[in-house]
Amino acid sequence: MENELKQLIIDTLDLEDISVADIDSHEALFDGGLALDSIDALELGLAIRKKYNVRIDAEKEDVVKIFSSVSSLADYISAQNIALQSNSAPLRK
Amino acid sequence: MIPAFVINNWNAWAPGLNSRADWKAWYTGQRFVKDNNPVAPASVPKMLQRRLSPLARAVFNAADGCLAAGETLPTVFSSAHGEICKSLEMLKAVQAGEEISPTAFSLSVHNAIAGLFSMAYANQLEITVIAPGLEGIATAFIEALGLLQEGADEVLVVLYDGPIADFYPFLPFNLNAQNTCALALRMALTGEGLPLQFCRSAESRDDGEHPVQLLAFLRFLLAEDQSLSLGHQGHSWRWDKR
Repeated sequence: MENELKQLIIDTLDLEDISVADIDSHEALFDGGLALDSIDALELGLAIRKKYNVRIDAEKEDVVKIFSSVSSLADYISAQNIALQSNSAPLRK
Repeated sequence: MIPAFVINNWNAWAPGLNSRADWKAWYTGQRFVKDNNPVAPASVPKMLQRRLSPLARAVFNAADGCLAAGETLPTVFSSAHGEICKSLEMLKAVQAGEEISPTAFSLSVHNAIAGLFSMAYANQLEITVIAPGLEGIATAFIEALGLLQEGADEVLVVLYDGPIADFYPFLPFNLNAQNTCALALRMALTGEGLPLQFCRSAESRDDGEHPVQLLAFLRFLLAEDQSLSLGHQGHSWRWDKR
């Protein structure tokens, strides 16, 4: 999941010079680290919604924490998917 | 009083043409090179380079050639169509029921390239973006002269346009650009450079829209001609070498 997310970040955000191996799962995505910006956050949120059918609601969720690293994003998406499955909600591929 | 000013430096980008020497060759008959995608200037931070469309890269290359490293100037951008093709792509996506990319949206507005420029060059000075409609390039000169009269020592003027999609009707876009082109001019009221004056003309002319006029102005910079008149479905203007 973490490598898949790293590839999604690279492809979605046109990070041409960066490879999956260059991104540390625990490295900060925004402040320092990869130095992404707020437009990247919106773009990434859309890509995650399309790929994992997981909506990250900026008004309800602690988005700063969720988007802080690849590891925290993966944890959040996994938890949402488990919650969805246990509610037997249909998962869109 | 007829406004007078000097152009103390200029640079332009079009496919295959990125230096004053290139443009001299163009003036004597060299054609545009097709499908030459501009590379962003090395002075632009990597993380911003990925946001630059081919049109934005053309603008940055033209402007970069007029600026010393780290230098910032009040800037006037002028473009008839800006990034309108990006808006068209998004409208098509909406029609197809797709969600719009926030990045594409943020980069589609008329002042998108100016915004990127201010970030890339840490330029916090006054930046204006003109959509001149059918008025051509004159409005950019009026704006720049206003800034100079207000006390700016120099103003950077960047005129740019690219071809627009076939989707748009032939009229009123009948004088569409054949190629992407960006022209950057450094203007000051006095000092070294090419001295010009600029005034309204009573003539009724049809010299085409902004994308065509900016090439006419480029030709004027390179030519021996002492005077250039441009007008299109509205006012006409004249530039005279002093």
